[in-house]
Amino acid sequence: MIIRIGNLIIKELIQFRRDRMLSVFILLAPALQLILMAQNVERGITEQPVVILDQDHGRLSRQLVVNLDNTEELNIVHHVQSMEQVRNLMDQGDARLAVVIPAGFTQGLTGFHSPQQKVRSVAPIQVGIIADGTNTLAASTTLGAATGAVGRLIADLATSYGLVSAEFVDFRTDIRFNPTMDFRDFSVPAQLGFITYQVTLALASLGLARERELGTLEQLMVTPLRRLELALGKGIPALAIGSLNFAIMWAISLLVLQVPMNGSVFLLAALTLLFVATVVSWGMVISAISRTQQQAILFVFILAMMEIAFSGFMVPVKNMPSFLQLFSRFAPLQHYLVIIRGIMLKGAGLRELWPQAIALVALSIVMGVVSLHIVGQRRS
Amino acid sequence: MSPRRMAAIVRKEMLHIVRDPRNLFLVAFSPALLLFLLSYVFSFDVGQISMAALDLDHSALSRAYLANLTSDQDLQLVIRLREYTEAVPLLKGGDVDAVLIIPPDFSERIQSGKPARVQAVVDGADPFAGSQALMVLEARSKVFVARASMTARAQMVPWVEMRTVVWYNAGLESLLSMVPGLLAIVLIMPSMAMALALTREKETGTLEGLVATPVLGLEYLSGKLLAYIIAGLVSAVLALLVAVLWFRVPFRGSLLVYLLLTGVYLMACMGAAIVIANFVRSQQTAMFVVMLVFLVPSFFLAGLITPIGTESLGALLTSYTLPTTHFVEIGRGIFLKGLGVESLLRPTLILLGMGIGAMAIGLGLFQKKIG
Repeated sequence: MIIRIGNLIIKELIQFRRDRMLSVFILLAPALQLILMAQNVERGITEQPVVILDQDHGRLSRQLVVNLDNTEELNIVHHVQSMEQVRNLMDQGDARLAVVIPAGFTQGLTGFHSPQQKVRSVAPIQVGIIADGTNTLAASTTLGAATGAVGRLIADLATSYGLVSAEFVDFRTDIRFNPTMDFRDFSVPAQLGFITYQVTLALASLGLARERELGTLEQLMVTPLRRLELALGKGIPALAIGSLNFAIMWAISLLVLQVPMNGSVFLLAALTLLFVATVVSWGMVISAISRTQQQAILFVFILAMMEIAFSGFMVPVKNMPSFLQLFSRFAPLQHYLVIIRGIMLKGAGLRELWPQAIALVALSIVMGVVSLHIVGQRRS
Repeated sequence: MSPRRMAAIVRKEMLHIVRDPRNLFLVAFSPALLLFLLSYVFSFDVGQISMAALDLDHSALSRAYLANLTSDQDLQLVIRLREYTEAVPLLKGGDVDAVLIIPPDFSERIQSGKPARVQAVVDGADPFAGSQALMVLEARSKVFVARASMTARAQMVPWVEMRTVVWYNAGLESLLSMVPGLLAIVLIMPSMAMALALTREKETGTLEGLVATPVLGLEYLSGKLLAYIIAGLVSAVLALLVAVLWFRVPFRGSLLVYLLLTGVYLMACMGAAIVIANFVRSQQTAMFVVMLVFLVPSFFLAGLITPIGTESLGALLTSYTLPTTHFVEIGRGIFLKGLGVESLLRPTLILLGMGIGAMAIGLGLFQKKIG
């Protein structure tokens, strides 16, 4: 039995090596893609273009503009004279935030004479902030930054009147797990997971479908191979290539992209193997139920897009409605992203990650059994 | 080039698409289905920060402070802690984005005019949630404490009030922003189908039959392209119906302009598909290349979730070479901003250039030969 499986594996590997384009692509492209994407994913949302409509031209309006420009998130690129110009720049996407400072801004804030004069209630002075809502993440970031800049102006003003001491609030922050809040450290592990997922699924899902389409499956059937052997012989090469791919990319993310590795390498390796095995099982099921490669590819695409959507990368799972949360529990990628981020960034161990680990074990067993069953059934 | 021969190719391809239910599904129906499935993930609101609080002060002021922080939907207080040791496991398990600690002397220090102390422990592993949490907490704390300490001393300075307006998507609903963007991703499917069709002819040997006909390379490729663009437009209309009728995303621009620019986008993607198909022999490889070159980068680099990078030239270039980036901009521009073609000239011309360039390269590489 071992020999027969071994022979099938050798056949698969030879076939893989002979499709030069495929083998080059599978071994090199994922690593290149990881580097390219990681280099180009921003470190955060920074330097968003802002347009200013200053109708005041006073000392404090200029101060507010400086405060806005000093934030990391905002970059003032335009000063305009009219709302039409604001509208134009926002339409074109050349500005993502507009700040409108009304005439009388400085006057209103400094109009009363001495700070000793007690002022109990004064009408607030309004500043208009307009955000571009077409990208909600950018909008909430720019709005937050603008709020901060206005807050600083108020605080400075209050301090200059001696109403509060300069350090009126001692706001201490303690950022855990990723102290510089580097977006790259956050996204590289996710990209690692995505790419490994795709490579493995693409490899595992077409094997049987292709043999069936080209008619070579019949030849395999007249050999003494049993169904378990066929499934293992097809699955193991995909598992091996998928894991190899992961190892290469993992090394690149540590050495080239400088992503920290705070947890146990052994745990990560073990759970990655489980993850890849689950994906291989999914792939084998697709392969067994598709009659042509095209059909298999269709399934792969739909599955891959759904996995990416449910992975929690774009939308945190805890923000999803409950029926979607339920769905996402069946997506191995979602559990895996929690695991890989937990281990690499937070140094988490099994004590924190046991729910995800159990989910992966359960998914891999169920999918493994299902795929063995289906691959066997479809032989005739 | 004979229009008659090209028309014959278009007809042949159309029959191919229509007669094979799987292919028909892939080309015409899968974008609508995928849009439907993907959009559901975004059909509720993102950006809420969940927080735990450890209030050691237990005063009216500290309660007012917490109430002030969580007065709107941005910040949600999910759990009140009793001791500090509870904080770290919560953060490690990802249950909250931040933990706020109010020390026992919080209100006393404010009343006596000393700087108040608060501490926030933030999960930096998710930088978006983390920095959002930090920004919101810090800004609101400053404003609250400044007002509280002035009230304590019965003095006020004039206040600045921010009047915030969000244009194009007044409620900052992520669904409205994502659906026009996701359309660009799901409309990769027709191009994928075309790459598969091109490689399948090689793999199953039917290209040989075509080689023996008088059809020229140009006629073959442009006929195929035309057929798939038409089919792609049908799929775009179906997906558009899902967006407008099911998800009720406002469509503020002109339908004609949108379809025209969708055609340009499909041409750019399909041009790339022709180039890819030239180099690969099997459908498996074609799928793999399309996934790696188009699909995954589109999720990360096309400005769908985070705005495209402006930090470095490399980032800008990578994003700009992806056709998806430009169509995300076009989609949001037409759907949400109601822009006409004159305001979308830049992305349109880039896509047009890409399409024509890729077609020229694809044609130059294509050889009507066997082996």
